[in-house]
Order: sequence, then C-alpha cells, then structure tokens
Amino acid sequence: MPESEYIEHNRASWTVANAAYTDGAAREEWAREEIVWGQWHIPESELSALPDVVGKDVIELGCGTAYFGAWLKRAGARRVVGVDVTPAQLDTARRMDEEFGVGLELIEANAESVPLPDASFDLVFSEYGASIWCDPKLWIREAARLLRPGGVLQFFRGSTLRILCVPEDGPAGDRLLMPQKDLYRLDWEEGGAAGTEFHPPASVMFAILRENGFELLDYRELYAPDDAVTHEFYSEPTAEWAKQWPAEELWRARLRPRSS
Amino acid sequence: MTDPTVEAWTRANADYTDARAEAAWAKDEVDWGVWHVPESELQALPPVAGKDVVELGCGTGYLGAWLKKLGAARVVGVDPTPAQLETARRCNERFGLGLEFVEAFAEDVPLPDAAFDLAVSEYGASIWADPNRWIPEAARLLRPGGDLVFLRNSTLAILCSPDEDLPTTETLQRPQFGMYRFQWPDSGVEYHLPHGEWVRLLRANGFEILDLIEIQAPADGETHERYDYVTADWARKWPAEEIWVARKDA
Repeated sequence: MPESEYIEHNRASWTVANAAYTDGAAREEWAREEIVWGQWHIPESELSALPDVVGKDVIELGCGTAYFGAWLKRAGARRVVGVDVTPAQLDTARRMDEEFGVGLELIEANAESVPLPDASFDLVFSEYGASIWCDPKLWIREAARLLRPGGVLQFFRGSTLRILCVPEDGPAGDRLLMPQKDLYRLDWEEGGAAGTEFHPPASVMFAILRENGFELLDYRELYAPDDAVTHEFYSEPTAEWAKQWPAEELWRARLRPRSS
Repeated sequence: MTDPTVEAWTRANADYTDARAEAAWAKDEVDWGVWHVPESELQALPPVAGKDVVELGCGTGYLGAWLKKLGAARVVGVDPTPAQLETARRCNERFGLGLEFVEAFAEDVPLPDAAFDLAVSEYGASIWADPNRWIPEAARLLRPGGDLVFLRNSTLAILCSPDEDLPTTETLQRPQFGMYRFQWPDSGVEYHLPHGEWVRLLRANGFEILDLIEIQAPADGETHERYDYVTADWARKWPAEEIWVARKDA
C-alpha cells in the first residue's frame, strides 16, 4: 500500500521536532518514576485512568521517544511494543531503552497498518500519537484487530474545543475560529513544514469506536491544574486557557467479546 | 412558594406551548429539537413497539404521543408544571391516545422500580432537572437492559450563550470548568454538564453509553420563532443540540 502523503509530512515535522526538543527531553521523561499525563503532567495517581497493566501485552501506537511505554513496562507490563513512523524518534527511543535497560520492542510502522498479528495485545495505547496523527477510521480499526477480545483501547488527545479556539499563529482565546461542522482532518503549514492531524468531535469518535466493536468505558475532559504553568515547548494553549476550558481528553474503551 | 422552573413553564405554556400543543400532537413522525430533525435521519430511538415508556419532563406530552402512535404499550408523562399537564390531558382526550400523566419532578418520581423499558426526555428533565438526581431516578425506573434517550443543548452552545437574553455568540462567554447550574433572566433553573461529566454520571449509574449524536441545523432551517437563543446560522456551524443514547446494564 503506498504511504499517505500526510504520513510523509508528519515524519518530516517530527524529525525536526525531535532534533529541536523531544530528543533532548527524552532522558528526563524516561527517568520519571511516576506516570503523568499530557501537557500539564497530571499524575496517574490523581486520575486513576489506566487499567491494570501487570502481566499485560501492550502496544503504543505513535510512541515517539517511547517514554510512556517505558513507564508501562516498569509498572509491570509483560511486553511493550512501540510503533512509530519517524526513524529519528525511534533512534532516540532505542538509545533510551538501552540506557535504562527497560526492554521495549520498537517497530518502524504506520499505526494505520501495523505488521503484527491479530489479537496479540491486551492494551492498545496512544498519547498524542496515532490519536491525533493518524486517521481514526484506519487506526481504530487497526487497534481493534490488534486487541484480544475484552482488551482495552486507551488514548489521549487534544480537545475539540482547543481545536476550535487555537489559531495557526498566536495565542488561543475565547473565540471560535472555525466551524465544528465537518471537522475531521486538519492540514497545516508552519515555517516551511507541513503536517496533518485528525480531530473528529466526540460524537464522531463515539460512532467510530462503536463501528469497530468498542464499548466506551471512560471519557474525561482534563483541565490544567491550579498551579500549572504554560509548557515550554507545547506553548498553546496556555495554562491560563486550559484552567478554564478542557484542552485534553482521555478515552478508554473495551473491545467487545466477539459474539458466537 | 412556587418553584422557579414551574413558574417559568406556567408562563411559557400560557404564552406559547398551550397553543402549539395540538399541532405537535397531530404529527405522525417523531422529530427532534428546535429544528425538527426527523428521527428517520437521526435514528436515536430503539424500537418502541410494545414497550413501556416514561417521559421525564413531558411538558405538553407530544413526544410521548408520537411514541404511543409508534406502538408503545404504555406511555407515562411526568412533569412538575400543572398548566402543561392540563394541556397534555386535553390533547390526550382529543386524540384518544391513552397516555398517563403524573405531576412530579423528575428527581423524585412516584412510580415503582423497574417499570419501564424506555425513558426519554427532550428539553425536559434533560436540562430542567438536576442530573445527579434524575439520572439515578431514570436508572431506578428502567428495567435491566432498558434504554435512556435524551436531548439537551450542546455544551458549546451553553458556553457561548451570554448572560443577557441574547443569542448564542461565537465567543466563549464562561469557563467550562465547574459548569453545572444556570439561571438565565426570567427563566427557571437549568443544569448543563460537559460531555466528560455525562459519561462519568451515566457509567456511575450503571448505563452503557451507546451513542452521542450532535445535531446540525438543516441547510434550509430557520431560526425558531420562539426559541431564538441560538440562530440557525450558528447551529449550522456548531452543534447546538445533542442526543445521548444509553442502556441500563442487564
């Protein structure tokens, strides 16, 4: 299957972002003892969002430098596979894996078409990975294929409201800058780089999950904590904005057992 | 002292809903919300033939009437406003549909546990009752495997509605953090939760979430003559209404 143009663009922009930020930030993330979520590092101990991972087989779709997979392996997962399309980020991930001796498996592949067998994982996971950089109609179908019946899909992404309010340049405000009607795929250009993100609203995600055999277990809208400060690299929206409106969403769904 | 919501709906019934009730009862097709989007398009309802239905916050009872016409075995409309129930009873007599009506708040319904297969609300309990109390009531009234279908204003429309009696804007007028209870000018008390809170509440009360339908105003839809708090133009760009479909665990 020929690669989509957006995969190529996203690989190029993450190669740049890895050199500018994520490579340098990887060690600190891998070294973290506690699992945290998103732009404002909300501790898992506060959210209790993850299922029990002890002894589980986990795959992270769009793992980047794979720090979240490392945390899940340390939390007791039996096997953690990280999948990403950007070789530069996988290089960083492999270097960290060696340094920390965690034992992840890292595969260069597109989350829309993963070269791994059906029904081989208990948890499919994505934090700002496939959850925003891949087409949900494709990657959620792939997640369903990779999961064992009763397995859990957990993903984390930016909120729809953030998409409506964050401009291409400049700070997010209180104005709705685009219609929600037909919101699905967003192509952007910034400083010569191009990227494509996917942001269907909640109602569309509900339908895609249902059509792929998932039952929705949890959906949370997350705000920045009171003491949050704006992220050094991911500077939009600001902490101030995200204290008033949810900038991030956490989803958890379960693959229904196949009926006989 | 009269409840502010009952007082507001007593006035609204005299001004508007009483006179519109018979035309609404006369319709043969179920439609939803301010823009009357047909059920055939949205497919929000489970099959209703032979089912026992309770409508929480039925107003003049037209939605219940449509469900009875579709073959529901029993339809009970619950509402706290006597004036609206009088209108509903008059229509029921005129159309001979055999609905039952109970004067009560949806937070505390004097009907037995596990007596219904379907609970519905369209701009009824869904916005005028406290969700932390009416959702548990709906769960109590439903049989295992029973369905809950309700229509409400979208969270985005509420976020963009000014405090004054003016139409919905393109600007966020208030934080979403902590949104819950609202009292607009000359109105009753409304309750509006964000999506994440609805999911939490429904799951905590033993519901499986089947669908969330965000409704778009039709291309030819016009701003409603009375419910003009959101224009058709706004509602074509952003969802002004949404329907939740959930099923009580068997």
